[in-house]
Amino acid sequence: MISTFLSHSYKKFTRSVSFEKELAKGIFMGLLALMVVDYSLALGFALEGIITNQLHQPDSLGFVNKLLLYYFVAEFVMRYFMQNVPALDVQPYLHLPIQRSSIAHYLLSKSILHVFNASVLLIFTPFALTVVAKQWGTAGAISWLASLVLLSFSLHYLVIYYKKKLDDSLLGMAALILVFGSFAAADYYQWFKFSDVSSFIFNRGTSASILVIITIALFTFLYYLNYGVIVNGMYAEDWSSEKDSATEWGKYSDWQFLRGFGTYGEWISLELKLILRNKRPRSFVLLSALLLLYGLIFYNGDEVQKMPGFALFVGMFITGAFMINYGQLLYSWQGGHFDFTFTRPISVRQFIESKYWLLSASTLAAFVLSLPYAYFGWHIILAHLVMMIFNMGINVFIIMNMAMWGPQKIDLKKGSTFNYEGVGAAQWIMAIPILLAPYVIYVPFKFIFSTQVGLMAVGVTGLIGIALRPYLITLTTKRFTDKKYEIAAGFRKE
Amino acid sequence: MIEIQSLTKRYKDATVVNIEQLSIGSNESFGLVGNNGAGKTTLFRMMLDLVKATSGTITINGKNVQGNDEWKKFVGSFLDEGFLIPYLTPDEYFRFVGNLHGYNAADLKSFLEKFEVLFHGEITGKNKYIGDLSKGNLKKVGIAASFIGNPQIIMLDEPFENLDPTSQIRLKELLQTERKQRQLTYLISSHDLNHVTEICERIVLLEKGQVIKDLRGESTLAELEAYFKA
Repeated sequence: MISTFLSHSYKKFTRSVSFEKELAKGIFMGLLALMVVDYSLALGFALEGIITNQLHQPDSLGFVNKLLLYYFVAEFVMRYFMQNVPALDVQPYLHLPIQRSSIAHYLLSKSILHVFNASVLLIFTPFALTVVAKQWGTAGAISWLASLVLLSFSLHYLVIYYKKKLDDSLLGMAALILVFGSFAAADYYQWFKFSDVSSFIFNRGTSASILVIITIALFTFLYYLNYGVIVNGMYAEDWSSEKDSATEWGKYSDWQFLRGFGTYGEWISLELKLILRNKRPRSFVLLSALLLLYGLIFYNGDEVQKMPGFALFVGMFITGAFMINYGQLLYSWQGGHFDFTFTRPISVRQFIESKYWLLSASTLAAFVLSLPYAYFGWHIILAHLVMMIFNMGINVFIIMNMAMWGPQKIDLKKGSTFNYEGVGAAQWIMAIPILLAPYVIYVPFKFIFSTQVGLMAVGVTGLIGIALRPYLITLTTKRFTDKKYEIAAGFRKE
Repeated sequence: MIEIQSLTKRYKDATVVNIEQLSIGSNESFGLVGNNGAGKTTLFRMMLDLVKATSGTITINGKNVQGNDEWKKFVGSFLDEGFLIPYLTPDEYFRFVGNLHGYNAADLKSFLEKFEVLFHGEITGKNKYIGDLSKGNLKKVGIAASFIGNPQIIMLDEPFENLDPTSQIRLKELLQTERKQRQLTYLISSHDLNHVTEICERIVLLEKGQVIKDLRGESTLAELEAYFKA
C-alpha cells in the first residue's frame, strides 16, 4: 500500500502542470537540505573542540546538557516556520477498500523523512561516540543519543499537531506567546535558570535509560495524538465544510467608515476582507508588523548616527514592508474573481486607483506606527518620513506596474508556509528597482552636497511623484487596459 | 441592442468563434446552444470584454464594449465561479454588489425577497463564506447577483446546471416573471434543450464557433433534437 501511495505522489509531482516550477523548487529545497546536513555534520565533529578550546569549558558534556533545552526551543521555532503539515489528497482513496489507519500511518511516517529529523543525529552522534561514551559508557551514550532523537521526533509531531489544530487561531497564538514569554521572563528575572532545568533533564549519567523511556512515551503519545486527528479528519465534510466558516478573523473585517469614500471605499473594504480572512495575506500583515521592529536591531548602535543612508534603507522596510510584500502579488490575490471585477460597474482607472490608495494607506499607517522611533532621535523619523513619501510617490507605481508582469492566480485557501504560488521571476526582479530607486537619488546628492540635501532630494522626488499622481495613474491604467485580457486568460488557467 | 459584426477569435491556428453578423434586439430572450467547444462561453466572454476579439466588434446600445465601462451599469452577468467572491458571505456579497449599483439596505432587502423562493433558506442570513457553499448554492448566489441593479441585459452561462429539480423549476418561473414585468434581454446558454427552449423565444445554435441555425417558433425544440441526434 505504501509503495502505491509513494508512486501516486511521485506521479502527482511529475505530471503536474507546473512540473518545471515544482522541480526547480525541489532542487532548491534539496540544496538547502544538503546545506543543513553539511553544517550539522561539521558542527557535530567540531562540537567537542569548540567547547573545550574556544569556550574553555572543562566539562563539555555538562555544558552541552545545559544548552540542550535551548537547542530544542530553537528547533521548535525553526520547525514552526519551515515544516509543512503532511498532506495527501485523501479524498480519492476514501471510497476504496483501504483502511483509514494505513493512510494515517503512511502520512505520519512519511513526514518523518525530513531533513530536520536528521540534524540531531548528525550533530550529536560524533559527540556521543567520543565524549559521552567515555564518561557514561556505551550504553549511556546510546541512551542519551536515542532520547535526543526521540525528543526531536516528538517535536516534529508536536509542530504538526499545533499547526493542524491551533495555528492561525487567536488562542493558539496567545498560547505560543505566553509559553515563550514566560520562559524568557523566567530566565531574565532569574526565577529559575533555564540551563539548570536543561541540565536536570539531560545530565543523567549512567541512568540515561530513564530518559529514553520517558521520551518514547512522549513520542508515542504525540504520534497517536496526530493519528487521531488525521483519522478523525478523514470525513468528507471537512472538505465540503458544512461548518460555519466565518471565523473569528472574519468578525474584525467590516470597516463601515470606508463607505464614506464611495466606490473606492467599497473596493478597498473588499480587499481588507480579503487580507483579514485569508491565511496567506494575513501572514503578510503579521510579517509587516514584525518588520516594524526591524529598526530596534539597527537604531541601537552608533552606525545609524554615522550613516543616515542606512536609516533610509531600514525606513524603506519599516514603512514599505506591507506595500512591497502584498503589492508584488497585487493582482494575483483577486485572480479568482478577476472576471467579476471587470464586469461590475468599476472602470479600470477606479480599480487602479483603489489599489493605489490601499498601498499608500498601508505605508502611511506603518509610518505612524513607527513614530515611537523618535526615541532614537528625530533624524530617524525624518528618514522614515522621506521614505514614506518616496513609497507613495515612486515605489507604489513601480510595484503596480511590475506586478502586471504575468501574474498567476493565488488559491486563497492555501496557507503560507513555503507557499510560492504566484511568485514568479517578476517578484524577484521587482526587488531590484525598489531597493535601488531611493539610492539613485540619494547618493549623488549626498556626495555633491550633504546628507541633508540627499534626504531632501529623495523626499522631493517622492513629492514630484505624488504631484504627478493623476498622470502616473493614467499611464498605469493604460498599461493595465492593454494587458487585461492576457492577465484574465492567465487567471483562468488552473 | 447588441450588435455583432464580423467577429472572430483565434487561438494560434484554431478559430473558436467566427460570426459574420448577429443582432440581439431589446426585450429579446436569446438562447445559445451547442456542444462542448462550440464557443458559447468564449462568445459571452467577448461580449463582456473579458476576452479580446481577434477581429470584429461587439456593440451594446451602439457603443463598442471594448475599453468601455458604461455597459457594466446595465448588464448583469454570471458565467462561472470567477464572478463570485469566495471570502464573503452571500449577504456581504449582495450588499457589496448592491452598493456598487447604489442600493440602500431597504432596496436590497426588497430585492432579495424576490429570490427567497429560490434560496430556500440556505443562502441569506447564514454565517458561511461563499467559498464553502455547494455548487448549486453558488449558482443561486451568482444568478441572484446578476439581477442587482435592474440590468437591461442579463447573461447567464448554464444557469440550470447543478440545480436540483425544484430549484430548476423555480428559477424558470423567476426568469419568466421578471421579463413580464419590465424590458429585459436574456442571453442564456444551456445544454438543457427543454429548459432553454421554454425560456427563450429565439435559439442560436453554434458549431465550431459559427452560427449554424437561428431558430424561432414552435418547431425549435424538434429541430434542435434532430440536430443533436445526428
